[in-house]
Amino acid sequence: MLILPCPNCGDRNVSEFRFAGEYNPRPPDPDACDDDALAAYLYLRDNKLGVEKAWWYHQAGCGLWFLVERHTKTQQVVKSYVWQADAVGEGTDGD
Amino acid sequence: MATESITRAVPGTGPDRLPPQSGEVIDRGARVAFTFDGRAFTGYAGDTIASALAADGVRVLSRSFKYHRPRGLLCCAGQCPNCLVQIGDEPNVRACTRRVEAGMAVRSQNAQPSLDRDFLSLTQLAAPLMPVGFYYKTFIRPTALWPSFEHVLRRAAGLGKVDLASRPDACDKAYLHADVVVVGGGPSGIGAAVAAAEEGARVALFDVEPSLGGRLRFSPSQSGCVEKLLASVANRSDIAVYTDTAVVGWYQDNWLAAVTGSRLFKIRAKSVVVATGAIETPLLFDHNDLPGVMLGSASQRLIHLYGVKPGEKALVVTANDDGWDVAADLAEADIDIAAVVDERHSCTSPAADELISRGVPALFRHTILEAVGSKRVRAARVARIDPLGEADRSAARNLACDLIVVSVGWTPDLALFHMAGGESVYDAQRSEPQATAAPKGMFLAGRAAGAHTAACAMDEGRIAGRRAASSSGFGNGPGGSEVSDLLARKAGEPVRTSARTVVPGKKKRFLCYCEDVTDVDLQTAIAEGYDSLELLKRYSTISMGPCQGKMCSMNTVHLCARANGKQVQETGKTTSRPPFVPVTLGALAGQNMEPVQVSPAHQWHLDRGANMMVAGLWLRPEDYGDATAEVKAVRERVGLMDVSTLGKIQLTGPGAPELLERLYVNQWRKLGVGRVRYGLMCNDEGVVMDDGVCARIQENEWYMSTTSTGATTVFEWIQWWVQSGWGEGVHVVNLTDSYAAFNLAGPRSRDVLQRLTDRDLSNRKFPYMRVRSTRVAGVLCRVLRIGFTGELSYEVHCPASYGMHVWEALIAAGEEFGIAPFGMEAQRVLRLEKAHIIVGQDTDALSDPFSANMEWAVKMNKRDFLGKPMLTRISERGIGQRLVGFRMARRDVVPEEGLQAVRPDVNGKQEIIGWLTSCRFSPALNETIGLCWLPAHVAAEAGTPFQIRRDGELEGAYVHHGPFYDPEGERLQM
Repeated sequence: MLILPCPNCGDRNVSEFRFAGEYNPRPPDPDACDDDALAAYLYLRDNKLGVEKAWWYHQAGCGLWFLVERHTKTQQVVKSYVWQADAVGEGTDGD
Repeated sequence: MATESITRAVPGTGPDRLPPQSGEVIDRGARVAFTFDGRAFTGYAGDTIASALAADGVRVLSRSFKYHRPRGLLCCAGQCPNCLVQIGDEPNVRACTRRVEAGMAVRSQNAQPSLDRDFLSLTQLAAPLMPVGFYYKTFIRPTALWPSFEHVLRRAAGLGKVDLASRPDACDKAYLHADVVVVGGGPSGIGAAVAAAEEGARVALFDVEPSLGGRLRFSPSQSGCVEKLLASVANRSDIAVYTDTAVVGWYQDNWLAAVTGSRLFKIRAKSVVVATGAIETPLLFDHNDLPGVMLGSASQRLIHLYGVKPGEKALVVTANDDGWDVAADLAEADIDIAAVVDERHSCTSPAADELISRGVPALFRHTILEAVGSKRVRAARVARIDPLGEADRSAARNLACDLIVVSVGWTPDLALFHMAGGESVYDAQRSEPQATAAPKGMFLAGRAAGAHTAACAMDEGRIAGRRAASSSGFGNGPGGSEVSDLLARKAGEPVRTSARTVVPGKKKRFLCYCEDVTDVDLQTAIAEGYDSLELLKRYSTISMGPCQGKMCSMNTVHLCARANGKQVQETGKTTSRPPFVPVTLGALAGQNMEPVQVSPAHQWHLDRGANMMVAGLWLRPEDYGDATAEVKAVRERVGLMDVSTLGKIQLTGPGAPELLERLYVNQWRKLGVGRVRYGLMCNDEGVVMDDGVCARIQENEWYMSTTSTGATTVFEWIQWWVQSGWGEGVHVVNLTDSYAAFNLAGPRSRDVLQRLTDRDLSNRKFPYMRVRSTRVAGVLCRVLRIGFTGELSYEVHCPASYGMHVWEALIAAGEEFGIAPFGMEAQRVLRLEKAHIIVGQDTDALSDPFSANMEWAVKMNKRDFLGKPMLTRISERGIGQRLVGFRMARRDVVPEEGLQAVRPDVNGKQEIIGWLTSCRFSPALNETIGLCWLPAHVAAEAGTPFQIRRDGELEGAYVHHGPFYDPEGERLQM
């Protein structure tokens, strides 16, 4: 079972967490959003082989929503951090 | 067969039992009586079922999967499928590893009527009609006949019988943590465990056998060595030993699964040493599956562990010095050696010298062509190998024997290593796969890593143990010279494995014992185009049976390479997946530990005989015996329902209104203190997620309720937005479990509640859609005047610890007004009479608020809210289907929810136009009512007829708009 580093709680079994999909920020002004941009936000995902930035929720733990950068093939966690307004976190380094 | 039918006056422990052996695991002082196919047998404590039967001369243990051929002991190590038996209601038990217990009723499998005379063995005569993949080829058409084919095939082919009524003994799970996990307790595993522990690591050592020692347990020349090894592990508190425990799978980050009996271990290891050893590889020759043909290690196990003589006269087939050691063991056990057939030109084994000097015939540069006999071996047909390396059939001869021991090579057991992402290549010099790159945190040692001698394996184990310890943070690992010395020693070891996989002939040669696949079947499959290993596996079912490729995987790769004219190293290997050995579903399921949530008034419901239903994790009263009477009580008098399951979320702070505006499609900013509003939540796809009410308790304090099933999802959803930018000035707390909630509903509910509170409950002081904080029966409660049921009603929320008190007080106060508790079923009817939807029942993952008939709730003029961009587009584009009420033409017919709504199309053909989501008989209206999805144009006009397809009949129905009961909502405002 994958081990994920929660920025609050440290290394925990992945079964404590809920995966919530790729990081996919909501368009800042939805009224101004054209159909293509809206469809991309709602329905299109990269599903990439490589380092994926995704939302996780520490459901059976501290209740933190956080971001994990994880390689989808090797499962290596590159980085795990709390969301920040500029969307660039200074996070816990996973290994 | 004659010896098998002799009835003994006194059941003994078998004519084939040897005098006591030095390493034997049986207790000759303790006899154990059991039955096999109804016949009485006696073994010794410590015997396996197979060893006890072998001691009594039983040679046939099962019938094969497809051709029902008799099969006997082959591996004696729990690897092959030949000894699968049924014990009581437990199918597919390996007789060679399950120890006998007094009174055990063992039965053979897949034999009709008996093991001795299996009529289905006649299927062999039809073998030419049953080529590889014949299921796919023969039974595909006509499709309609497949059920009949299946019935016959399932009976003919297969394994044990599952008794659906059986309830297995308690199964459980256990969790382990270790710095270093060592898989395999042979010399390398023990070496690794001790070396890692010496560095300070906490070690867990696993072995599938009943005791440690690995192959040394049945190699008498090494017996002193075993004791020393065991002593090095014993009394070490830092090494936990788990014998009889199979490590069956590797998962991400060194998370291992292991099984012992009905217990499943889940193990988190910082690092893993794989010391799983090697599996002896069978040789393909004519009738190589005849009972009496067994692997060299199997015969050694029988002799040394159980003191059982595997036969009277043996032919040994080998290609290495191990075979000569086996022959020496057989001779020591007083078994005649018909000959040792060695494919090499000569050898320098001391065992060979000794045997040859004693007159044992040594046939160098020979091989076996065929096992001769019908139900057991009577002779072996052997031949010289010609200068081209092929068997010279012209000079073949028969040698009488009743045992053919095959010891031609080993396949390193790399399953766990491969599962973890380890890589290996085939080493053509040694005819064995050789590990190359090990995954992070995993270390390989011993025979699995290609070390053949015990001394070499043990030293390699010590190196791997120190590496593993170092990787877990203990010690510095082994020195470079130590490692290079060992590699040099390993390189100098003799080759043990022959590249000869098959000796061609004219009869059946079994590659896969599980599914009766021959080398010819494999060639046919390859000729048909299934030439890649993974395709070949799926088409021929090879390696997919109970042995999971342990007997066949290496030979398959060889045959596939040859048929394709390629090198073995170019052919690759099939993917290793857990579980490596069969695991019972019971062990996987573990204990039945389903959590349930109950309301504080749960015991009251039980005491009143409520029929409880499961709703998510909750147990809730469905009814208290008569739902119709409960509906009537609410409509005419007063009822009380436990709604503690509702989600309850508190939002505090000046930012709360802004957050609510974004979460709900409704408007919130202007809601006055003390007011309550219905709220509808969508996601950004514009799909209805949840509904409930939200009350403004104070200026900066809001109290939200959600559906019972949506409680967790909605709280997590809100947290997500709060923690990603929408959380300014607001604090959100989940109070679902902290508050109990009871819905007091009915025309007399005000009278009941007034008995328990000083607050003026008059309609003027506490009108509809208001919230008040007040004491009820002495407990400070939040009371919401809302009306899902359509009657005057009060939802009383109180701290959960006072839940039972408040519930009982309400019931007691209601007694004089004829109060009745009501459950889910009554509520379903009551709300349906008001045409109130249930999110998730009347809506699905495609329902937007417009089509769900809730456009009144959506405030499109808000700056932004979740779902707005999509709802803007939907409102411009228009909707397809609409949720609408219906009434039945025949008032007492209640169609089931989920049925289709139909209407004749232009050609008069019935066309599906929608579906039913809710339907009940309404006592208030004395007719059947419901909700359904219909095309918007059909739903547009009340009274439009359509039909419902039910049991092949068509029932008439009419579109209905608005609530069925009290359409003006006057009863809510009383």
